[in-house]
Amino acid sequence: MNIFIFGLVNSVILALMASGFALVYGVSRLANFAHGALYILVGFATWLFLNRLGINYIGSIFLSIVIVSIIGGAIYRFLLIRVKGMPASEIIASLSIGIAIMELFRWRGFIGEAYMLPPFVTGSVSIAGVMIDWQRLIIIGIGLAMMLSLWLFTHHTKVGLSLRAIAQDKRASMMSGIDPDRTAVIGLAMGSALAGVAAVVILPLGSITVETGYMVLTDAIAVCIIGGLGSWMGVLAGAFLLGFSQILATAFIGPHWQMVVVLLFIILTLILKPSGLLGRQKELEERV
Amino acid sequence: MKNKALVGHIGINLLLILTILPFVCVLSPNISIAQPIVLGVPISRGYPDGVDAERGITLAVEEINAKGGVNVAGTMRPLKLEISDTRDLEPGVPVAEALLAVERLIIEKKANFIVGGPIRSEGALAAMDILSKHKTVSILSAGVLSPAYHKRIADNYDKYKYCFRTTGSVVPMIEGAIGTFESIKAKKGFDKAFIMVQDVAHARAAGSALKDGLEKKGWKIIGYEIYPTGTTDFSVGLSKAKDGMAQYLIPWFDMPEVSILMKQWYDMKVPALPIGYIHALQDEGTWKATDGKVAYSVVLYGKAGSVATKAIPMSEMFVSGHKKKYGLEPRSEWTSTSYTVVYILKDAIERAKSLDPDLIIPALEKTDMMGTYGRVKFDPKSHQIIENGDPKETAVGMWAQWIDGKRTIVFPDKIATRSLEMPPWMK
Repeated sequence: MNIFIFGLVNSVILALMASGFALVYGVSRLANFAHGALYILVGFATWLFLNRLGINYIGSIFLSIVIVSIIGGAIYRFLLIRVKGMPASEIIASLSIGIAIMELFRWRGFIGEAYMLPPFVTGSVSIAGVMIDWQRLIIIGIGLAMMLSLWLFTHHTKVGLSLRAIAQDKRASMMSGIDPDRTAVIGLAMGSALAGVAAVVILPLGSITVETGYMVLTDAIAVCIIGGLGSWMGVLAGAFLLGFSQILATAFIGPHWQMVVVLLFIILTLILKPSGLLGRQKELEERV
Repeated sequence: MKNKALVGHIGINLLLILTILPFVCVLSPNISIAQPIVLGVPISRGYPDGVDAERGITLAVEEINAKGGVNVAGTMRPLKLEISDTRDLEPGVPVAEALLAVERLIIEKKANFIVGGPIRSEGALAAMDILSKHKTVSILSAGVLSPAYHKRIADNYDKYKYCFRTTGSVVPMIEGAIGTFESIKAKKGFDKAFIMVQDVAHARAAGSALKDGLEKKGWKIIGYEIYPTGTTDFSVGLSKAKDGMAQYLIPWFDMPEVSILMKQWYDMKVPALPIGYIHALQDEGTWKATDGKVAYSVVLYGKAGSVATKAIPMSEMFVSGHKKKYGLEPRSEWTSTSYTVVYILKDAIERAKSLDPDLIIPALEKTDMMGTYGRVKFDPKSHQIIENGDPKETAVGMWAQWIDGKRTIVFPDKIATRSLEMPPWMK
């Protein structure tokens, strides 16, 4: 039961971390390497609003997510748009922005154990004899609700359908009057907001550190590589595969193997199915 | 009219000052031309350990300069800090960065001495050759717990005699820890432990030595697990500790994510007392940040001093000075060691009456003074600080327990401010 409960928590955490990255890639075919930086930006911004400006917790969270969405959109509108269509330059540009944001926090002295966000609800509950805190249960709830909402949004709203249209066939969607740059701005703003939601629900489990930004980026990339870039179900599949594998490795082999498991799955995926478990990026090439 | 008089008054005063100033400068050559003594500080400024060390060094330098500086053969010379970022604690940053920082301080900044870091053992060990090449005396005061450091000095004294260390080695830390655990067992009677360590050299060495040492003393080690740096979930290990009915949880971590371990320990209601090298919990802001979830945890500090105790008067002076300057108590052990290191150097320079390394080294070897963590003496062969449990005789580490929002010293007995309190579920 331990393994099931904590495996589920770990999987949903990974899915939350990867959802924003996957959305941006799915919409604009842009690998946003500033994803981890936007994640900690929300964490530090929420902390500052809460502890320095005295804004209440919900207000601080709302404000931080709005700000990071604007920053995300602005990153595309003013910077990434200039290197559009050059994948290597897009990666370098977004990674540079990410590093600049993260190292700015380090430079300004955002280091130490004081940077922690309070949990939404304190206390623990026993489920089938396993003690688990309410924050982790909230993560499961919010994570699953967010996945469902995103699916509904991208399948049943006009904006969501336009995002998918651009992802599926840019030329055809442009002929239908969809502006790809405007859609990409919306996609990056939404992806940044998703990184923000992930941050505010996950960060209360520990402390906010600059290194967390790097870790979130690598975890998001790992989940997307394994699950398949551009596929929602792939993100979920990748997150659950990695989440449970890490917990199983910790329980039966040893905790230091949990990182090895991630790398092993990435290597196996790239050898056996480079497009990922449910990805469609290179399906045709693979068949050929 | 009034304004005219005021301007005239100021003008006359300025004229007087400008007339007198050159005479004052000529008549007081020691004040105006005393060359500063340059202290090169290579540390990882983007990490709490580096910031803590920098704060300790800066505070000591300001105090010494406020009293006129260091007396070098009758001339009072101020201390000047040159700090360089080694980035050696950041993941993936090569050791070469730390070496460049050290060499830059010596060549470009003309550092007379190196104090502080590099903080990671790998960087400090590699820097030994540079220090020896430039014949620059260095005293490490942050990090570097590897026994290899002083072994190398002892094995090749002539080459590495320029290197000194006040942080200590993991070996006496473990010996002290086993003694502390035995003392707790004798008083409280519990003997089942679960060891969790970080996957870095010093923590693995410490965990393995603790496991062997405690088992030899008859302890039951329920589990021994190694976690990669950056781990964010400890639920499985904690479940094992709970299922195995461990009475002590012995973590040995220097990564910030260990706060997650402590929160999970609290939330999962694991009935074991956390006691170990939990570096993140040394921070005085931990209680507030975790909403008190660290209550009863016992944290090892490699050196005492960051929590004031009457048994070591200099620790009281240091903590009070730190609070006055930075508005908070010292965060970690390296603030205390880095504060004291400047006084150690001052003492050696004043006795040597020179900055010449050939005179400073024997002076440092003969160091015998009180610091923030007890009596400071170096082993003349390995240049390692000597330590045991009595601050009147040697340097000491300390164990502090989080009780009612404060860090209180519970071990060693000679500096303890109160006795260890067991959590309600273990009484």
